Amino acid sequence: MAKKKNSNPDEIDITVFEWVGSGDPKTPEVPGCGGCHPGGGGLEYDRDGKRYDVALKANPELAQSLDGDYYKSHWDKSGVVEADCFICHLPGYDYGLRNRQLKMWNFKWASTAASGIGQVRGSVKENQTPTVVYNKRLFNEDGKIVLDLSYPPPATNCNFCHSMSDVKKRGFSWNDPVNYDIHNSRGMNCAQCHPAIEDKKLKITKEMHNFAKGQENVSTVADNLDFVGFKTCRQCHEQGFMGAPRPRHLSIRPNHLEKLACETCHIPALHRAAGEGFDVTTGAMVNIPKMEPPPGAKKLGQEFTWQPRFQYLKRGKLAPVNPLLPVFYTNKDKDGLYYPLFMQEIKTAWTAAEGKIKPPNPHRPDLHTPEQIKIMLTAFKTTLQGNKRFQAINPYMHKGGKVYSLDDKGEVVEAEDHTWVGHLEGFNINHNVAPATLALGAKGCGDCHSREAHMFKGQIVTDMWGPDGKPLTVSSGRLFGCQPWAFYVNQFHQTYLSPYASIILLILIFALVLHYTGQGPKGADFTYEPAEILRFRLSERWTHLVRMLAFILLALTGYIFFYNNVTMLRLFFDSPQSAVIFHWMVGLIFIAASIVSVVLWAKDARFVPYDWEWLRKQGGYFGGKEVEVPAGRLNAGQKIFLWLTAALSLIMGVTGVIMIFKDSLPLTINCLMSTIHGFFAVIFLAAVIAHAYLGTIANPGTWRALIDGKVGRKWAKKHHSEWYKEIIAQEAAAKSAEKSGAEE
Amino acid sequence: MKPIRFGMVAGGLAVLGLVLWLSSTTRAAQRQCPPFHLKTEDGKIINPLTGENADQPYSSRQTCGACHNYDEITQGYHFQQGWNKIKDDYSKDKPWVLSDGMMGKF
Repeated sequence: MAKKKNSNPDEIDITVFEWVGSGDPKTPEVPGCGGCHPGGGGLEYDRDGKRYDVALKANPELAQSLDGDYYKSHWDKSGVVEADCFICHLPGYDYGLRNRQLKMWNFKWASTAASGIGQVRGSVKENQTPTVVYNKRLFNEDGKIVLDLSYPPPATNCNFCHSMSDVKKRGFSWNDPVNYDIHNSRGMNCAQCHPAIEDKKLKITKEMHNFAKGQENVSTVADNLDFVGFKTCRQCHEQGFMGAPRPRHLSIRPNHLEKLACETCHIPALHRAAGEGFDVTTGAMVNIPKMEPPPGAKKLGQEFTWQPRFQYLKRGKLAPVNPLLPVFYTNKDKDGLYYPLFMQEIKTAWTAAEGKIKPPNPHRPDLHTPEQIKIMLTAFKTTLQGNKRFQAINPYMHKGGKVYSLDDKGEVVEAEDHTWVGHLEGFNINHNVAPATLALGAKGCGDCHSREAHMFKGQIVTDMWGPDGKPLTVSSGRLFGCQPWAFYVNQFHQTYLSPYASIILLILIFALVLHYTGQGPKGADFTYEPAEILRFRLSERWTHLVRMLAFILLALTGYIFFYNNVTMLRLFFDSPQSAVIFHWMVGLIFIAASIVSVVLWAKDARFVPYDWEWLRKQGGYFGGKEVEVPAGRLNAGQKIFLWLTAALSLIMGVTGVIMIFKDSLPLTINCLMSTIHGFFAVIFLAAVIAHAYLGTIANPGTWRALIDGKVGRKWAKKHHSEWYKEIIAQEAAAKSAEKSGAEE
Repeated sequence: MKPIRFGMVAGGLAVLGLVLWLSSTTRAAQRQCPPFHLKTEDGKIINPLTGENADQPYSSRQTCGACHNYDEITQGYHFQQGWNKIKDDYSKDKPWVLSDGMMGKF
């Protein structure tokens, strides 16, 4: 938009008059800039608050001035565009006809024609004075018109503008079975979420026609009204507004609900082709429809299924977006600012460059080679000479996050685009909500965390024409901060761990059954007998008990998380959040018990030479016959188990404690920690199952040592021969000391 | 006594229901625009049946503004689209941006 005050025609891009009547005359029914403005405001009054037609009639010389409101304008003949109430409130309004009228400069006739209350003939643009013939069937005998106006406006009328602009920005459509919306399919319309608002603090009355709105990532229009009178997804679905069901999200991890916007899961795909970007190389706005997945869409709005890119919104949540990738040109002026080049300036340069570039498609030249870019930038160098709006001529091309310019020798230099053009904000996607059964996560974690899932592995176009002229893509997860290696580690969980962990554990149990039936239990007689030996002190038994119970609870709650088992979750917990808290609190108890157990048994768990014999003889557990194996208070197997579980406890403890704070951690860390935690949990469980087998039915009576702490002498001699020798020696020494004490 | 009381209550409820129904339909009717005269931008009535000003386009300011507060309505952001904030020196960092709306924003 041209400034009000200009000192040179070169400074004037598009005046208000051109803005209203802009657009391609070859497609008269497609709106230009003015098409999506309902009239009033800047289409009625100039920047000094004067009505354009009145001011120009009074001062015809304004059209020859450099006033951005009047330069080369014809307001005196076109009239102004007053606020067109019918564009919103009249069902059956002919929006295409309105655009046609605006492009003919029939500004003040546009509403009369498009509303269908009269026929308009003639074009101001062709120096005619339009005429009106009213449809008399709409009028009563008293001359009053009867119109069935709609309050609030029907969605069809909102769609006049919002389907055109928002399908390009975000693949939006409404009343569209192809690109459905669950709210739409329940009969909801625009005004139910976007009603007229009133707010005394903001001095907004209902009659002002300001509508409740959410937060738009890119647009800055009326940011002060964000969420004023607007119900968020959470508000409707927690309060049951209009009967909105209250979701329990039992299968969704609590931190996902904190980190992800509702739309992330509930708009898994769009089914109308949005824009991938735009290219102004020819001096015209050429919209490029979605290119991914290949082969891409042929035109905007066609039936085409695509999945969005994800970006963190201002409110800190990850949400689906569609950034329109620009192919754009600027001039870096003496003040260091990158000024956008006007379409007419780009068109002039393109006219000079086109013959040298000779693109296969002159309407979409797809410049991507250094040679092509050099020709275009050189053309700018030439055609911008003498342009009075610049003090220096340094043309730049912006494409795919890179900026291209010419060095002193006239060669192309490529650099990362840190200018305002390269700062890409995506248009947030917030309509076309899928039913809950189609939301991400409805089929499990694999919806996002599997090898094929779009969330991390989907390909997102970052440069519409890369070095080879084809779209350049990057993995989706990488764009929102998940390093590729972290994703590969994480998807290991869904691809291998979840499907095979149960099988591995079942095989282990089966192997133990085979061992029991083949090898059989060790045949030490474990009966109560006189002079039993205290094997474990009370502190040791309690520590073991606490550690064992904590482990069982951790395994059970861990199983819920590992397989996202909602049935078990609902059986034991009120919410996933409470299950998580319970899990980590028990985990802390387990870690404390593990530390105590290491302190209690570290001395006994030191390896000594006869442990090698125990290991060489495999503890006497194989071979089909009983073999004598030397062992201290703890045998070599128990020592290995102690140190193994100490190491596993350390790993589980460190990863678990880190994950307590996962809401504050980078995604990469969380992916890594959860995978390590899950992987070692399976190993831990396998080790404990084997330990439990050996401590119970494989060695009858062993369990008693952890109940009352005592074992019989025969048992001790058989299972822990070296320890038993120590006990005998200690007893002998004690008796000897007692005897010598008595003699003295 | 009992039948009389019942009849009185029933009658009262019927009257109350009628009043409520009438008042609700009245409110609904108020939301719809009754038949109205189209007016030119000079405020003159357009009557195609008599030919009075029937060659002129209607003016929403004069027509709709006869009952509704046109100036207040057009304060809404759909109508202003940044025009109420537009000025030549709106942004120092981006001098080509003149407002935060479609009219003036780049």
